Amino acid sequence: MTDIRDQHSSNIVRFWKAIPLFRRDPLVAADAVTDRALISVIAIMTFLAAMTAGAAEFSASTTSRWQVMMASEVTVQLKPQGSRPIDADLVRATDILRGTPGVTSVQTYSREDSAKLLEPWLGSVSAMEGLPIPRLIAVRIDTEQPPDLLALGKAVAAAAPGASLDDHRNWTKRLGRISTALMVASALALVLVLAATGLAIVFATRGAMAGNREIIEVLHFIGADDRYIAAQFQRHFTVLGIRGGLIGGLIALFLLISLRIIGSPSGATVDANGLSMMVVPGSEIMAATFGVILLVGLVAGIASRITVHRTIGRLA
Amino acid sequence: MQAFSYHPVGELVRFENVGLRYGVGAETLSDVSFSIEPQSFQFLTGASGTGKTTLLRLIMQALKPTRGMIALFGQDTSQLKKDGLTALRRRMGIVFQDFRLLDHLTTFENVALPLKVQGREEATYRAEVTELLNWVGLGDLMHATPAVLSGGEKQRASIARALVAQPEILLADEPTGNVDPSLARRLLRLFVEMNRSGTAILIATHDLSLMDQIDGARRLVLADRRLHVESGHD
Repeated sequence: MTDIRDQHSSNIVRFWKAIPLFRRDPLVAADAVTDRALISVIAIMTFLAAMTAGAAEFSASTTSRWQVMMASEVTVQLKPQGSRPIDADLVRATDILRGTPGVTSVQTYSREDSAKLLEPWLGSVSAMEGLPIPRLIAVRIDTEQPPDLLALGKAVAAAAPGASLDDHRNWTKRLGRISTALMVASALALVLVLAATGLAIVFATRGAMAGNREIIEVLHFIGADDRYIAAQFQRHFTVLGIRGGLIGGLIALFLLISLRIIGSPSGATVDANGLSMMVVPGSEIMAATFGVILLVGLVAGIASRITVHRTIGRLA
Repeated sequence: MQAFSYHPVGELVRFENVGLRYGVGAETLSDVSFSIEPQSFQFLTGASGTGKTTLLRLIMQALKPTRGMIALFGQDTSQLKKDGLTALRRRMGIVFQDFRLLDHLTTFENVALPLKVQGREEATYRAEVTELLNWVGLGDLMHATPAVLSGGEKQRASIARALVAQPEILLADEPTGNVDPSLARRLLRLFVEMNRSGTAILIATHDLSLMDQIDGARRLVLADRRLHVESGHD
């Protein structure tokens, strides 16, 4: 029974040792203080990078949702034309809209509804009594088979002088430009954060190699080649990079998911509709965060490899 | 130039008119010529500061000569690329005066290091390293780190590390410099046993009593920057 238990625990130890993150570094002497400092720096960098990636993902997905929403709706505005009866124009415009293929629903705003929309600028509805109020028709369209909006606009304007059709194209374009600018800024920030991580690894690797100069000399004398020694240092710093990346990335992930939970419609303390728009869907956060952690590990590996290969010749 | 072209393959080490100077000062070693045959036993001796360690470092290829030719295992080292140098070093065992054990590794890991750096898996050498550690009397300390070993134990671990890859030549720099006379005798017996099993031995020492314990060992004596070879005497 004891033998079986020993066998089992030794299998578990072997399993964990097979994973570089849990295996003791064989040759590069771990410097607890330096390693902890480096892990902390990488964790902070990864946190910032993951939040940046989350923000970029948020801006892209939110803009995309908004663009879809705006592309599926157009607005017809009827401005009062002197003594011309606006209600009759409204009925004619509504009939044309309802009879157009590709239009899925038409919602006419009454005079009171339109006046309510103007309340923030003109005061209470009762104060607007006697003022010419423009009327609105909200039209939802089939985005798969949309109607010819140019022809529809002309038809509505012909039937109801003073009517204009707004397909929100200008807003959509501006949103697209803002989204692109945000994505570029986020990508730049991500690159800078990764570059800073790489530089931290470069300096740490140089320091470690200088500190392990005697070990490197002994390794050369007992028959280790540069590739072997470089691989030891590269593995050491890649593991440190992934450890730091996991800490920073998981904290960022926790924070982003917490925001999502707080912002979800079931959240009781915040305006659910408002905040839920400001958070990224969970699977996209996960993908972005783990992508950043992998990138940090990759940057750590590449930075240490380049540094080791450049330094080892001088030390040899 | 022609004189440098001859280096018989049978010789493990050959120096021809080797000179070395540090910087622009006078030569530390001048016109050093000698060779080491397979399975031979020799001491490298001389007063402190005469260049014993320097000569060993030239053999290890930690230093390049200013002039002259050094051949190792029949290869002119001036033509060596890095990979070739690594291959030659794998045929040598080196015992340092200050042990040079890696403090964060256990005795077993330190001794097994030459096999590990050759890419061998631990399972393939565990038994032979354990046997070697028992042979040098460190079987009970294989899991201890150098910090808890005595000077003599560290030196034995260092010797075991030099031997584990079964080198053709073993270079030892003052291997008994840090141990008491009785342990020095035990270590010397280890070297003699290694030599009997086929490894050529070169021990750098200034301890005359140590050298007197081995009959027939050749002595390479450094004095006034030059090397004098005294053949083994009974």
